[in-house]
Amino acid sequence: MKRLLVILLALLALPLTGCVHVQPWERGVLAKPHMALEATPMQNTIRSHTYESREAAASINRAGGGGGCGCY
Amino acid sequence: MTVTVSSHSSPAVQNPLAPPADSSVGKTRLQALSSAALLLPGLLLPALLPGIVSTAQAADAGADGVSLQFSQYKEGKRELVDAHSQLPALNVDVVHGSVNVHLQDRVRFTFGYTQDTWSGATPVTTAPLVTNPNRALLRNSATGVVVAGASPYVNNQLLLDAERRPLRVSPGVGGGTEIDTRAVQVLSSASPESRDQADFSLAYDWDEAALEGGTGISQENDYESVYGNLSLRLDFNQKLTSVTLGSGYTRSQASAILDPDLLPYLNRTAYQQDIKRQRGSEILQGDRRDWTAHADLTQVINRETLLNVGLGYTHSKGFLENPYKAMTVLFVDQAQLRPNGGANLPVNVPVTADMRVLLEQRPDQNRQLAFNSKLVRYVEGLDAALHLSYGYSHDDWSVSAHTLEVEWIQPLAGGWQIAPRLRYYSQSEADFYQTYLVSEQFYRRFDPDNPERLQVFDPGLLPEHFSSDHRLSGFGSLSAGLTLSKEITRGLVFESALEYYRRESDLALGGGGGSPYADFDFRIISAGLWLDLDAASLRAQRRALAMEGEHAQHQGMHAGHSTSTGVMFGHLLPNAGDFMLAYRHAFSRQVGSLLAGSHGVSDAEIVSQGCSALTQCRYVPTYMNMKMHMIELMYAPSPSLTLMLMPQFMDMDMNLRELVGRPAAVPGVHEHTGIGGHTSGGIGDTVIAGLFQLRETSSYSLHAGLGVSAPTGEVGLELRRMFRIDGGLMHFDMQTGSGTWDILPSLTYTGQGERWQWGAQLSGVLRLESRNESGYRLGNSAQVNSWTSYGWHSGVSATLRGVYTHRSAIHGDFNEFNAQIGPMDFPRNQGGRFVDLGVGLSYTIPAGRLAGNSLALEWLEPVHEDVNGFQLARHGAVNASWQFAF
Repeated sequence: MKRLLVILLALLALPLTGCVHVQPWERGVLAKPHMALEATPMQNTIRSHTYESREAAASINRAGGGGGCGCY
Repeated sequence: MTVTVSSHSSPAVQNPLAPPADSSVGKTRLQALSSAALLLPGLLLPALLPGIVSTAQAADAGADGVSLQFSQYKEGKRELVDAHSQLPALNVDVVHGSVNVHLQDRVRFTFGYTQDTWSGATPVTTAPLVTNPNRALLRNSATGVVVAGASPYVNNQLLLDAERRPLRVSPGVGGGTEIDTRAVQVLSSASPESRDQADFSLAYDWDEAALEGGTGISQENDYESVYGNLSLRLDFNQKLTSVTLGSGYTRSQASAILDPDLLPYLNRTAYQQDIKRQRGSEILQGDRRDWTAHADLTQVINRETLLNVGLGYTHSKGFLENPYKAMTVLFVDQAQLRPNGGANLPVNVPVTADMRVLLEQRPDQNRQLAFNSKLVRYVEGLDAALHLSYGYSHDDWSVSAHTLEVEWIQPLAGGWQIAPRLRYYSQSEADFYQTYLVSEQFYRRFDPDNPERLQVFDPGLLPEHFSSDHRLSGFGSLSAGLTLSKEITRGLVFESALEYYRRESDLALGGGGGSPYADFDFRIISAGLWLDLDAASLRAQRRALAMEGEHAQHQGMHAGHSTSTGVMFGHLLPNAGDFMLAYRHAFSRQVGSLLAGSHGVSDAEIVSQGCSALTQCRYVPTYMNMKMHMIELMYAPSPSLTLMLMPQFMDMDMNLRELVGRPAAVPGVHEHTGIGGHTSGGIGDTVIAGLFQLRETSSYSLHAGLGVSAPTGEVGLELRRMFRIDGGLMHFDMQTGSGTWDILPSLTYTGQGERWQWGAQLSGVLRLESRNESGYRLGNSAQVNSWTSYGWHSGVSATLRGVYTHRSAIHGDFNEFNAQIGPMDFPRNQGGRFVDLGVGLSYTIPAGRLAGNSLALEWLEPVHEDVNGFQLARHGAVNASWQFAF
């Protein structure tokens, strides 16, 4: 499991090595709405609430609270 | 031109490119730059740029806008092996709305509201299958004996072998035994319950930084949490890099009303200090505090790639248990191993175990560390985006979890967008998770030396912490989903999504999770509207310019609430192509004494006359609250026709009291024990309507409306059936729909002077069917409204409204069991004649970025009521609404 984590981290770190300076006028593609980090925010709210009440994993809770007991 | 349509992004959800950084300024500048860049090489395709801009409105939740969404979570039935439970599977209906606006150029405000209602079967514990803990509950009906539910048997006796494995005894005399180690979840069912959550945040944007603070509250009748958070975003490197640091604090208080039906079988000695007794209920109280901190880095890798990595830490302390979950313990009395105090029995002789349940016990602290990463990559040629994310978390309880997610977002022609996604999740079990426990001691016995004295088990011989909550077990899950969205018109997007999720013990990484009995699946469906206020304003302005002179006389009526906010179907949209989105909230409360006609009555009268000739009343409601959320979408295909679509979401709650002089309880029938009230909720009926202009001059107009109400609400909501006690169908007023197709005719007159407006409306509700699926139909009703309003130049206006309502009693009756405990369960105690007086205020924002948004509030005071039969007095109602035409 740890090996998997290392491999994934390495894979994710790979693009950093290829970082290029992107000028503001070259960011047209990045500005597209489906390139946003949360491209479907309406769905994310309900999904994360559901996962949190069904799974034990910790999340980086951006909203910082809420969700209620989820005791069912 | 295009740049002025820019949206304003929130740093939390945006990539740094799209200079979420400095709100309006940043993005506008960016888009100006990118447009300029596109122009420079002569690459600007006229068709391309509007495309970018319009979809940006669609997906960017950080933009000034309003979202309204409904979703439903529904579980499949749990695997109970050989039991045939009729318990309905768990169902959660959620309504969510949020507003995100710039109060000033650099000050953002967001407000969110969520309400969910849930009901259905949920596991209380896990037990050896041989004890057959889920038993069918039978009930007599017109068609013979039917299975009406399931009854959990959590206390039982069973045989174990020398290795303490459960033994199944073959039926019949002298039947042999065989080892059967299978476990099964023991289900209990809950009557509907609901939760409300409200939160808001305020943010200030600098050119290369943002500070945001938020707070919120979540309330259920058994759980309340209050929370706050603060985050700071810093941009570096010409916004190619952005770092966010944040922290949050949540304080939660549980006050769980322990299931009164389960209490006799549930051991809760570990919590004696935390249980409060109140009117026959036992309330388990616990406090919990959570501190969170996170750091987050977003980096532009190249023109087409974006990377986000984050680290989060959560420290939780206090009551971390789920107060409704219990642990099954098999107690093996050691005395049976040495009968009569003699020699030990041979080891191969089965032993008897006493099966009991204890409230679960978790550690009172947990520290969780989470890592998350996301890569967003543009796919050229297809104009698609690939979102790939991986998350890992580990905590003090030894739960390690991996999440891998991939989503493909594909814009299509005509404003459509489709996004399929796949998710894999795996977690290891908590170190104190157990299917069930075996303890080598007696549970309870009379002291052999002193038969007067009762001895109980020694908790010190049990593990310090234990839980059989399946969320702490080892498992994996796979889910697949699809999000589909369509831009209806500039600024207005419809989005719907579907997700299917399957939990499998065997999907856990590195082999099985060892909890196949807890496998289940669920699906989530959702539908919502998103209105980008900037884009919609621009649309409205452009249209106003285009039509200048032509329809100038309409504009006054168009803006704001020209009628009282409590009046439906009050106005048409003036021009072909106009849209309007509105949210209406209605809250009404009945409380206090019971009325017969217009007069208060005594308990003795209610007992003898409030129910029926055959049945005496036992309970009366002490209060009843009803909340309605309605979304109203209007569109005018022509100036003389406006079409409307109005989905609704309802929730109700009430409590009861016992009548003085009530008759004795009937065995096996719902008796409303404890202090808890009844709650119900969910999607209500959906209205589709057309408004037709009949006559219009500069001073008055007359229009007719015809609506159809589709029975999308529920009329079969039930109180739970458990422990051989039949709850039956909930009271008429607690059902969320009419259950019948209804028509809603109306005729409206409105007049207007310079400052004054006035109007009158005749409207009704006619039920088109003689009965709904539960055997009854609601009464028809007629209503007369008249109102007048005075407006000031500031955009504020005041309204005064008078309403007369006539509603008939219910026809027919429930065709399934209803406990008939009080007047609210009898069809004749419905409807009446009511006069109300309403005073209201409305405000239409006259200028600035939010110009045209209109808010209204009205208080409706009962003036006279003459009810049919026996009914609770009405206390009043509040109508609140927001609307925006574009």
